[in-house]
Amino acid sequence: MTLLSTALGMLFYLLQAVSGESGYAENGDFDDAELDDYSFSCYSQLEVDGLQHLLTCTFDDSDINSTNLEFEICGALLDVDCLNFNKLQERYFLKTKKFLLIGDSKICVKLEKKNLTCRKMNIVKIVKPEAPFDVRVVYREGANDFVVTFNTSHLQKKYVKVLIHEVAYRQEKNENNWMRVNLTSTKLTLLQRKLQPNAMYEIKVRSIPYANYFEGFWSEWSPSFHFRTPETNGTGETDPVLLTISILSFFSVALMVTLACVLWKKRIKPVVWPSLPDHKKTLEQLCKKPKKNLNVSFNPESFLDCQIHKVDGIQARDEAEGFLQDPLPPELEESEKQRLRGGMQGPSWPSEQAGLTPKIFRGESPFRCLAGNASVCDAPALPSSRSPNGREGGKARPLVYQDLLLGPGTINSSLPPPFPFQPGILTLNPVAQGQPILTSLGSSQEEAYVTMSSFYQNQ
Amino acid sequence: MFHVSFRYIFGIPPLILVLLPVASSDCDINGKDGGAYQNVLMVSIDHLDNMINFDSNCLNNEPNFFKKHSCDDNKEASFLNRAARRLKQFLKMNISDDFKIHLSTVSQGTLTLLNCTSKGKGRKPPSLGEAQPTKNLEENRYLKEQKKQNDLCFLKILLQKIKTCWNKILRGITEH
Repeated sequence: MTLLSTALGMLFYLLQAVSGESGYAENGDFDDAELDDYSFSCYSQLEVDGLQHLLTCTFDDSDINSTNLEFEICGALLDVDCLNFNKLQERYFLKTKKFLLIGDSKICVKLEKKNLTCRKMNIVKIVKPEAPFDVRVVYREGANDFVVTFNTSHLQKKYVKVLIHEVAYRQEKNENNWMRVNLTSTKLTLLQRKLQPNAMYEIKVRSIPYANYFEGFWSEWSPSFHFRTPETNGTGETDPVLLTISILSFFSVALMVTLACVLWKKRIKPVVWPSLPDHKKTLEQLCKKPKKNLNVSFNPESFLDCQIHKVDGIQARDEAEGFLQDPLPPELEESEKQRLRGGMQGPSWPSEQAGLTPKIFRGESPFRCLAGNASVCDAPALPSSRSPNGREGGKARPLVYQDLLLGPGTINSSLPPPFPFQPGILTLNPVAQGQPILTSLGSSQEEAYVTMSSFYQNQ
Repeated sequence: MFHVSFRYIFGIPPLILVLLPVASSDCDINGKDGGAYQNVLMVSIDHLDNMINFDSNCLNNEPNFFKKHSCDDNKEASFLNRAARRLKQFLKMNISDDFKIHLSTVSQGTLTLLNCTSKGKGRKPPSLGEAQPTKNLEENRYLKEQKKQNDLCFLKILLQKIKTCWNKILRGITEH
């Protein structure tokens, strides 16, 4: 019993002694509660100067007394087993070419050659790239966008060549409202419509290794670049001058089209496609319709009611002379038309006719027509009458001229002024019965001469 | 019957254990994803190859080393192990620091990835050859230059062989 109790007591004592021992952690590191203050962190920068790499370590606790503390790295080194860090203020760094970049290394904090704490690290997994630089922003007015470009020293490096860049931009008045874009190239395009107009923006860039073989941390931010967006938002707005011109052009075209449609029939088509003139219609248009029930026509049948006196000027004169000498008048000559074209005979004619023996019309007037045919009948082509005395061989013949200029005011007039018949009218052309022929006029009467121009003058 | 079984039980297994290392590979290839080779070793091999191209014109004489060792099937790791050890000898040459750094990277990096157990550790590696004392300095200088040319040619071929063997290993790993 005594032996048993003694054995149990010794057993409990041993258990207590073993459990009270400290210094072994699960991972096998020599960690102590007091050594937790020596925790540190490191990062590497490759090819900072040619083939030289830089390894930097700092304590996590900035208040630690780093006097007499040293850092040492062992493993994954070329041709050497271990290397010691250099100290600069509170930072420990090592600049060397002797990093193998394959496998793990062990970094230890040493105090007088005694390892206080160690950490296993892989140099290629704690890479911190160098910060980008030369950030530029260029506005492209034609494309309405901003082209962001920057540079990085890793483009010329052999190991850490592929990086992920993060571009952060914000409107300066909106703090902490950063917009972020990730890219692998060194060029970025920002659309103008996604930015506020007439605003000041700040932009910066940082990098991190592309997780292929090399891994690590974000680099420091590049120096910021500031730019201002233009005032007007390019999309959706047009130049006001251009807008005005377009509106005016549109309305001009619309007006032209409307006028063309309206004036097509009356003005444009006759000019573009003139119709062949119809003389009869033209004359009808030129002649005014003086009254109702006026039947204007050049159809000879419409003149049946009129007494047409054909006067042959030359023949009429000869016959008139012959008549004076001979009671029987001769035939009219064909040249009476020429006489008609002659000028109006002046007052000499009546004097020339003084010796004529008038043949009196029995109250008939060759120009007396039916009321409906007044205008036509009033403008006959009268042949010239011959001078009864025959003394006017070469002179102007007695012609009948009647002014047929019927103006608008004369439409309603009844008949034109009667032909100034003279008692001494001589019948020269006994061609047709019932067709009194006007021969000569009285000496004191003015001559009436009908020409084609009178038709044009009728309105 | 008992002495016969006793022989088989206690005789053959030790024999197997002795012969097993001869048949098996003593290298365990790490970094089979090819990341270490493509991002570190190949950078140094290409850099060395460019530097050697500037300096020498190699003849098509295959050194004896390659007649004895080649990157045959199932012997890739062994060949790389021997080739990496041979690279270390070139560090003694009169070469620039950057050349030495890259040479060390290829050599030590290969050995690190192979993770071979040391075999024939005590064996002294064959030397590259030294200039024999001759009658005059000019001949000695000429021979030194000639030796250097030969060494660089050998190095160039060796690097190419290492590169080819690594590609073979990684290609085989990706196919499987």
